[in-house]
Amino acid sequence: MAAVRTDSERTEKGWEPKLIAFVCNWCTYAGADAAGTRRMLYSPCVRIIRFPCTGRIDPHFIVRAFEQGADGVLVSGCHPGDCHYVSGNLLARRRFAIFKALMDFLGLEPERLSFSWVSATEAGKWVEVVNSRVEALRKLGPARVPWGTLSGPPPSLNGRSVAPMPQEPLSQVKPDDYQAVESQLRQLAEGLLATGQVKAVLGYGKGSLQQATPIVITNATEANQLIFNEHCVQNLTVYLTSPSFRSLRPLGVVVKACDSKSLVGLLQEDQVKREDFRAIAVSCPGVKVNGRWADKCLSCDQRIGPIADHIVGSSEPKSTAGADPRDWEIQTIEKWAPAERWNFWMNQFSRCIRCYACRAVCPLCYCQPCIADKNRPQWIPTSPHLKGNVSWNLFRALHLAGRCIGCDECTRVCPVGIRLDLINRRLSLEVAKRFGYEPGKDPSVPPPLATYRPNDPGEFIL
Amino acid sequence: MARIGVFVCHCGENIARTVRVKELAQKAAQIPGVVHSEDYIYMCSEPGQKKVRDAIQQKKLTGVVVAACSPQLHELTFRKACQEAGLNPYLCEMANIREQCSWVHTDREKATQKAYEHLRYIVEKVRRNRPLRPIPVPITPRVLVIGGGIAGIQAALDIADGGVPVTLVERQPSIGGNMARLSETFPTLDCAQCILTPKMVSVRQHPNIELLTYSEVEDVKGFVGNFQVTIKKKPRYVDEDLCTGCGDCAPACPSAVPNEFDRNLSWRKAIYIPFPQAVPPVYTLDPQACLNGPKLFPLACERCYQACGPKAINFNDRPKIIERKVGAIIVATGYELLNADYVKELGYGLYPDVMDGLEFERLLSASGPTGGEVVRPSDHKVPKTVVFIQCVGSRNPANGVPYCSRICCMYTAKHALLYKHKVPEGKAFIFYMDIRAGGKGYEEFIQRVMEQERITYIRGAVSKVYGLNGKLMVQGVDTLSGQRLEVAADLVVLATAMVGANSSDLVQKLRLAVDRYGFGQEAHPKLRPVETLSAGIFLAGVAQAPKDIPDTVAQASAAAGKALALVAQKTLEREPTVASVNEFTCVGCFECQKVCPYGAIERKEIRDRAGNLLKVVSTVNTGVCNGCGACVVACRNKSMDLAGFSEEQIFASLAAVTV
Repeated sequence: MAAVRTDSERTEKGWEPKLIAFVCNWCTYAGADAAGTRRMLYSPCVRIIRFPCTGRIDPHFIVRAFEQGADGVLVSGCHPGDCHYVSGNLLARRRFAIFKALMDFLGLEPERLSFSWVSATEAGKWVEVVNSRVEALRKLGPARVPWGTLSGPPPSLNGRSVAPMPQEPLSQVKPDDYQAVESQLRQLAEGLLATGQVKAVLGYGKGSLQQATPIVITNATEANQLIFNEHCVQNLTVYLTSPSFRSLRPLGVVVKACDSKSLVGLLQEDQVKREDFRAIAVSCPGVKVNGRWADKCLSCDQRIGPIADHIVGSSEPKSTAGADPRDWEIQTIEKWAPAERWNFWMNQFSRCIRCYACRAVCPLCYCQPCIADKNRPQWIPTSPHLKGNVSWNLFRALHLAGRCIGCDECTRVCPVGIRLDLINRRLSLEVAKRFGYEPGKDPSVPPPLATYRPNDPGEFIL
Repeated sequence: MARIGVFVCHCGENIARTVRVKELAQKAAQIPGVVHSEDYIYMCSEPGQKKVRDAIQQKKLTGVVVAACSPQLHELTFRKACQEAGLNPYLCEMANIREQCSWVHTDREKATQKAYEHLRYIVEKVRRNRPLRPIPVPITPRVLVIGGGIAGIQAALDIADGGVPVTLVERQPSIGGNMARLSETFPTLDCAQCILTPKMVSVRQHPNIELLTYSEVEDVKGFVGNFQVTIKKKPRYVDEDLCTGCGDCAPACPSAVPNEFDRNLSWRKAIYIPFPQAVPPVYTLDPQACLNGPKLFPLACERCYQACGPKAINFNDRPKIIERKVGAIIVATGYELLNADYVKELGYGLYPDVMDGLEFERLLSASGPTGGEVVRPSDHKVPKTVVFIQCVGSRNPANGVPYCSRICCMYTAKHALLYKHKVPEGKAFIFYMDIRAGGKGYEEFIQRVMEQERITYIRGAVSKVYGLNGKLMVQGVDTLSGQRLEVAADLVVLATAMVGANSSDLVQKLRLAVDRYGFGQEAHPKLRPVETLSAGIFLAGVAQAPKDIPDTVAQASAAAGKALALVAQKTLEREPTVASVNEFTCVGCFECQKVCPYGAIERKEIRDRAGNLLKVVSTVNTGVCNGCGACVVACRNKSMDLAGFSEEQIFASLAAVTV
């Protein structure tokens, strides 16, 4: 693969924007042909790449185009209802809505990424779209190349313009709340193991420095090793898809309200069978990370999640739920100018050491091998260089869109403190707003990006 | 190592005027893997194609790139040339440097650079192409015809005469469609029933036609050559084999409802036959109209049962599900009349003496509610002044439909003529926009109506129809004289626009593209007028666009010919650019299955030698896959890929155009 043009090459006098157009074969490609047949003139700065359908256009191709030095990307296909393949453009509309929201949140200038419906007869529209996009790029100047160059210190979330969210909601939680649950949990586990209803129980045990650690017990006599307290933060459902846990089925797994939602995702995606596990739902008052209540707990009003075979403790909803501090931070970031946002996130991603701890701890990152391990083609540059770091974090965010239940484990384990929780949360809010879908609720509902409605909003499409 | 040949076309001056073709060919030769590069004035000409064939053989090319016009135009030409020279045709692709470069740019420098980058992209793509072979699929020799109007009847008869079995599905109790409602047909004034009923009877008697009336298509699965169709036969409550059509039941029935066949101008019983010549000639019990209520039980009235000699009535009848495998489908679902507010402005629905064309047809018909006597529905008096209004809704983008319904000029002239024949002292006025009589013998017919029958044609629109002292006041304007005028009419006949009768339900089941007026989208408006974009599904008659009977019959025969040509083959070759699964890396999340619009993704169990289930993965049914690639995007770890548009190809293409 040839080298990327250097910045100096790109900023010299003769700079011309480069717009990569991903078009579908049936509508826009034919529309562009029609523009030729009618000898309409438009900017030569566009490079057209033909796809069978907009449904074939992966957001990752767009990331790749930017990574390699494109100044702008245009995706164009058939109008809704005209798709040669029935629904490709409608699936694409959902996917690109989310991708666009992600790129906006990260601070990519909106004009760099455009979408349009251009039919085979709309030669005029094609010319207009291409010319207007090229003009917009000319005004913006060259894209920051390589993808994600750092420019100066980033804005800080700590210098918040609004006071942090009060953490009172959970101040009334007492150690007793956990102890009652813990003793009941031990009894239940003992019973389940003794009667052979489960082969093993996966729960929390004592770790070092008062921390909790995941343990597996296979014998009823070991039930007293199980603990439940404010340190039991891990989402244990991540182990359900692990091959080494296969022989322990049916496995009793201790889940908090949030963890239980990831079981819904695993069932939805055929990764576990309902008979392979028993969800031991512990009534959770909240858990702490680094001595502070976890962000996710502050707005949580549930003690028990959607999948619960055995309920330990009260299942009454909590009355203490407050606002979500993550939402507040997202709003803060969204108030920044795109350049500031971009700078903030590039600084975040620049710290990534590609340890893939986020992937390892995520219950929904179960692919073996992961896309990041694939090398034909090499989807993601592997070295911890900013370019690959951006791709990796973008890919993961996109793969979790509409699936992430917000357990924030990725953020907790990130050794360099990248705020993945905010990205995931932002996309969850977008999915909820656009498609009225909340992940981790009902396993029988299809995931939002694998389906469509004919009247999904497409306000971002030209 | 790839050995790629590049062929740059001048297209006369069309490309060479803007793109420096010699320079392009020289630069292309520098791309690694390109072992042959030349330019020629017309690549698509026979000498040009010979250059491609010779280079393939002399230089042992493993890939061919032709930089010329759009692949939509000549890709097949060059792929064929490659095949003749022994190169797999899927190893040949075109770089579009005419429609998308030389024709749309003027700057030679930039156009040449763009053409070069585009050419490089196609070289990189071709380098990663794999030889592909068309996928053979067996074809079921049976055709489904949906709709039993004249289009469906003609198509079914033609196919059946060709020796291929046909299943003809009609929603109504009898075939015949709208044509059966017509009195006489323009321009020859043949009686519609007289020319239609023999065909209806032939359908019933044809050994190759399976006639399913009172039935609807429930579900369509599969693909070209191999559709699986589920048909629901609605309960008729009358045994089709036992019923002799004697008609003893109907007089016994105490319940009467408006007769849809007569456009509600007459009454029928709950047990009825739509019209005397109905095929099949058997009665149907309409539970919605029956005194026993929609569920029929408990039975309060069984007079029809008692009246029936052969005891054909069966109150316990249930819907029957019929499954058929067919190789092709013909959609001949016909039309309905537009129901727009515009029609209401002209008094339709408000005054009983304002009627649409089909209602007037029934009034004129010898088998109609009045036995062919023209009388007003309101008072049964013979109308002395009749106003006909053309283009009601048609050619009216604001309040109706933008298109011309094509038949109204002719049938309105016919209406006026038939009226004058029946009421010689009557006066007929026709309001029209233009007269469109573009058919064989049509203009002559119009001239005859205007001159011999002395019918008053008024060029202009009607704004309003209102009732006054028992008359219908028609307010209009004569645009030729520029005068507003008002006609006091006894009867007003509206030539209402036609809209497609494709129900959204059926359209979805067939995955058929229809426009907003319900007309099916043909694959090409000129060159493929009866094919749809869904392979194996054809359009006949007004289901495609408004047309008259001769055109409908012609198109039905055309669709029949297309369907016959398809099912006459033993196997079909499908495009091999389909998706595939890497079973080693597939984790079985089945996201691909959820996004596939064709149901082409199936589950496959992977077991070890001892038979233990290791995992369940996706697999692609290549006979069903259309190669859209939605599954590849849905696949998170890219265990899916699409031949011809593979991930590697797209990555390489991107690199070629971005750097």
